[in-house]
Amino acid sequence: MGSLRVEYIAGLATVQDLGRDGYRALGVPVSGALDKLSAVYANALAGNKPRSAVIEVFGAISLKLLSDAVVAVTGGYPRVFVDNVEVKSWMPVLCSRGSVLKVSPSGIGRIHYIAVSGGVVCEEVLGSRSTYVRGGMGCLGRPLKVGDVFEVPPIDVGYVWSRVADLRPPSDLVEKHVKPESSTLLRATEGVHSHLLEDLGTLLKSEYVVTAESDRMGYRLDGPPLASARKLGRLPSVPTDRGYVQVPPDGKPIVLMSDAQTTGGYAVALHVLPRDVDYLAQLSPGRRVRFELVDAGSADEEVSKYLGELERPVLQREELEYWG
Amino acid sequence: MSTRRDLRVVRSGGYVIHVDVCEEVSLDCAREIHKLYYSIKSELSNQITEVVPGVSSIAIHYDPRKVSGESLARRIRDLWLWCRDVDVEDLYRSRKFTIPVVYGGEFGPDLQFIAAWSKLAEDEVVRIHSSRRYTVITLGFTPGFVYMGEVDPSIAAPRLETPRVKIPAGSVGVAGKMTGVYGLESPGGWRLVGRTPLTMFDYRRNPPIPISPGDEVYFKPIDAADFSKLLGIFVGDYSG
Repeated sequence: MGSLRVEYIAGLATVQDLGRDGYRALGVPVSGALDKLSAVYANALAGNKPRSAVIEVFGAISLKLLSDAVVAVTGGYPRVFVDNVEVKSWMPVLCSRGSVLKVSPSGIGRIHYIAVSGGVVCEEVLGSRSTYVRGGMGCLGRPLKVGDVFEVPPIDVGYVWSRVADLRPPSDLVEKHVKPESSTLLRATEGVHSHLLEDLGTLLKSEYVVTAESDRMGYRLDGPPLASARKLGRLPSVPTDRGYVQVPPDGKPIVLMSDAQTTGGYAVALHVLPRDVDYLAQLSPGRRVRFELVDAGSADEEVSKYLGELERPVLQREELEYWG
Repeated sequence: MSTRRDLRVVRSGGYVIHVDVCEEVSLDCAREIHKLYYSIKSELSNQITEVVPGVSSIAIHYDPRKVSGESLARRIRDLWLWCRDVDVEDLYRSRKFTIPVVYGGEFGPDLQFIAAWSKLAEDEVVRIHSSRRYTVITLGFTPGFVYMGEVDPSIAAPRLETPRVKIPAGSVGVAGKMTGVYGLESPGGWRLVGRTPLTMFDYRRNPPIPISPGDEVYFKPIDAADFSKLLGIFVGDYSG
């Protein structure tokens, strides 16, 4: 078995895959990568299946590879170093045994995904290796720490490399992650309680700012409050999910993320489409967003495309340049 | 009763259909939800990916590549019309669970408050809370949290104004007409009357909790010595 060892961490790093669907009715949050597109593209570029486990990093990490591996790092513009030499993100990289992979933030984007050929092996719980830290379940049941060693299945790294070396992700997706717009548009359908919020228009017309109170459970936004939320107060809990825009009595929206609880008693104003939740996840505090209302039919269409892309990432082959 | 009205159906996010069944939480409302929940599970399971019952609504998840939200919403409305006259008892698995509970003291830090609120002795609150048969309304909020109803109105104290940051697993609480058990350690705002030594939620088992909507639950008062004896027994393995 090949393996890798955690040498350094600043921030939060956990193992994630696409989550633990199917257990919401028991109160189990889905968990999984906050930016699923980045996770599946990291896997594809490392020759893995889309649902393989990756390392999700808020901050910086350094890993020692204890065997040869193809590695791909994606997400919000990570800076990637192999043995202190900078390499490109969103690209397959061939690393030899003993090399040290360092990933650190560039100041643009927020979360990085590291895929290693073969995928990270750790405890699977209810069909997923995603770590749900609050519930102590999945993989290690806790964030990574220095000294953790993960097994990686034995694979023919030379063969993997021959298949993935010239693969490139869609340039618009990479662009969106490395050069976020000044204000990110979040497409959303109406939510369960849209009809109860008479000033929903405020939410749709105003610009909101991502705050520092944003984590794997939810991203809190700051901007013009919805006065009607105060009047509504507490409602009977409804089943909630990633992308639900909850408005607590203070009127400031919270967009639920992968570790959110499965029911909630705050008004649900909108439901952000999954692809746009991926983009939101990458926005650092201070970044601005706007909501745009879409109808149910176009939402179905967009989600169909998104789910298709998660299962089969769109990769192009690039002509490799040969030197000498 | 507040449950007999038209369904409100919201298509949400391109993969969820939200069905609002009633406006207030009650056991009557829960039974209406259970009718729809179990009917969807038996009739539409090949067209959906997940169905999540709430306390007054249901969420149905689907893959829009396999079924359109529009036609699924229509089928759900049809199913609602069909299942309204079904006897919900026929749909239940009708399993019974007994949950031993140490009431009061450090195990139930709000028993005193509920006694004061209801102007009853603590013993009397315990007797009232443990002498009912409860029906499981739903599970949710955190892994293995069980919502049950209905609590006798005399002890139906409101939830805390400021939720506690940390509540031990197995804590039994009251929030208005509902009583519930915390499956895992978590934050929470219910008034805590006691705690069970049973393991309510064990993610290494599948299912990690054997309790389903519609099941019957009985609380059995025990003392602190029994608590240590029963500590860690899985709720599905305890026969009372």
